[in-house]
Amino acid sequence: MLNILRQIERWADQTPDQVCYVWRQERLTYGELKQKSDALSCWIDEVFGSDRAPILIHGHMHPNMIVLFLACIKSGHAYIPVDLSVPADRISMILEDSATQLVFSERPMLFPECTQKVVGFDQLNNMIAKYPNQRVSDDRAVNGEDVLYIIYTSGSTGRPKGVQIPHESLESFVSWMNQDFGLENRQTFMNQAPYSFDLSVMSLYPSLTMGGTLWAIDKDMIAQPAELVESLKKSDINIWVSTPSFAEICLMLPSFSQEILPDLHTFLFCGETLPVQVAENLQNHFPNAAIVNTYGPTESTVAVTSIQIKKDMLVNHLALPVGRCKSDCRILILDSDGHSVPEGEKGEIVICGPSVGKGYLNDPEKTNAAFGKVDGQRSYHTKDLGSLRNGLLYYHGRMDRQIKIHGFRMELEEIEHVLSSCSYVKQAAVLPIKKGETYDHLLGVVVAGTHSFEKSYQLSSAIRKEMSRYLPSYMLPRKFVYHASLPMTTNGKVDRKALLKEAVR
Amino acid sequence: MTEITPAFENQVLDILAEVCESDEVKNEPDIRLFEEGLMDSFATIALLVEVGERMGIDVPISDFNRNQWATPNMIIQQLADRK
Repeated sequence: MLNILRQIERWADQTPDQVCYVWRQERLTYGELKQKSDALSCWIDEVFGSDRAPILIHGHMHPNMIVLFLACIKSGHAYIPVDLSVPADRISMILEDSATQLVFSERPMLFPECTQKVVGFDQLNNMIAKYPNQRVSDDRAVNGEDVLYIIYTSGSTGRPKGVQIPHESLESFVSWMNQDFGLENRQTFMNQAPYSFDLSVMSLYPSLTMGGTLWAIDKDMIAQPAELVESLKKSDINIWVSTPSFAEICLMLPSFSQEILPDLHTFLFCGETLPVQVAENLQNHFPNAAIVNTYGPTESTVAVTSIQIKKDMLVNHLALPVGRCKSDCRILILDSDGHSVPEGEKGEIVICGPSVGKGYLNDPEKTNAAFGKVDGQRSYHTKDLGSLRNGLLYYHGRMDRQIKIHGFRMELEEIEHVLSSCSYVKQAAVLPIKKGETYDHLLGVVVAGTHSFEKSYQLSSAIRKEMSRYLPSYMLPRKFVYHASLPMTTNGKVDRKALLKEAVR
Repeated sequence: MTEITPAFENQVLDILAEVCESDEVKNEPDIRLFEEGLMDSFATIALLVEVGERMGIDVPISDFNRNQWATPNMIIQQLADRK
């Protein structure tokens, strides 16, 4: 097993001037990463030495993000990455839930009433200067079963839940990636996923432990395709890590091909089903690159199965398999009584082994419902429907109302809860609408309360604005329809099937 | 600025309403489409494909800029300038 920090720091000793992170004009070397994270870990030790609460790191693609992640790990604290796109009220819930005492933020002005200590990125250089050339021992560092990071995901009760990933789970994941994916030292990884999305871990730690360079693509580049193409042209990316949705967007750029990315040899996908069409298009545009599909929920450290997609699979399969399980873990397919189903039959995917994290922070009820032990190993009931054939896992959708749109995971109950709590809303339902085989957007069905808007679009706009205080933009319904009442089933529940039928008519 | 006929305007708004899955764009031509969550990167590409196929106006995606294509009115003007 590798120790994450030691593996990263050996590059600081061997090649301190090697660039480990590129974001726009900013460059960070392995030497700087070590020196800055050492100094900041000393500051954290001095000011928060007795406190073991997780530390919230708020920002987007700035290199200080990874400096702070390592500083937290070195000082024995788990970190919570929170992207700039997360609304302030949602961050407040995370602060409350996690009992965090310390926040580092790229935009500290967003925390005016925060009772926790908030340190802006503009203060970091002064703090680093106070601890020059500090050698930090790894006695206090996060290790073994200690929680290394906590990622907040959508929660069905209207509050996000914090998934705790210990050092040993990340170690197991990174060992698997580095050994089984044909990755070599000093490669350039694309770093596109925001850090609050665990797909980012798939590029971050494999790259840093193998002396690679992370090439960060930020959300403003994605919004302006010309900028995105310019950045990709300059990047020399070898390993592409993204959701299939992001690749799908790039495939619509006429110049997206081996010509602008001549050294790209591997596409790694995670976060959602890889459509056959996307895999085929990629093979046409990048005939020399391998396409690897992976599967895994945040609760079991990014991914636990993988498969290289070959041409014959695209011809023979309607739905692509999500792969074989990593060797130190097991996949079980269980029926509703908890018994294994026969080969090829559908059931709940249960993941067992060191990849499985330590449950939800400060939420024993939800943890006990989803996490357990099988043969002495941690296990996680995914509520994903799957089947196994010859050791290959196939994914068949969800057993509950959690969905993914363009790779973003969300609980429809949470969105419904927020929508129903809005002013002007008496009752509401949220429906996911498909385009082809995949979910494309959300529809809000609303029974409106008293309001003074003349037009329904004005009401929709007001509701959307209110929702955006609590939910990130990818969780907002694109469209609202208004009903006098919602149809009910005989059990007294909202009849979503009837609403959906009407919506797609 | 290129002159915009009502027929041209309606055709763009029809496409926009389909892409955004919402008639709001017809009622509120100055609505900020991206800020309001009515459009995203996927909808952008769908819009450019549709205007290419149905109106014969080809817009390279590299010309697209969210600041200059922010509202239905701005999109109508951008397309009219490329007719």
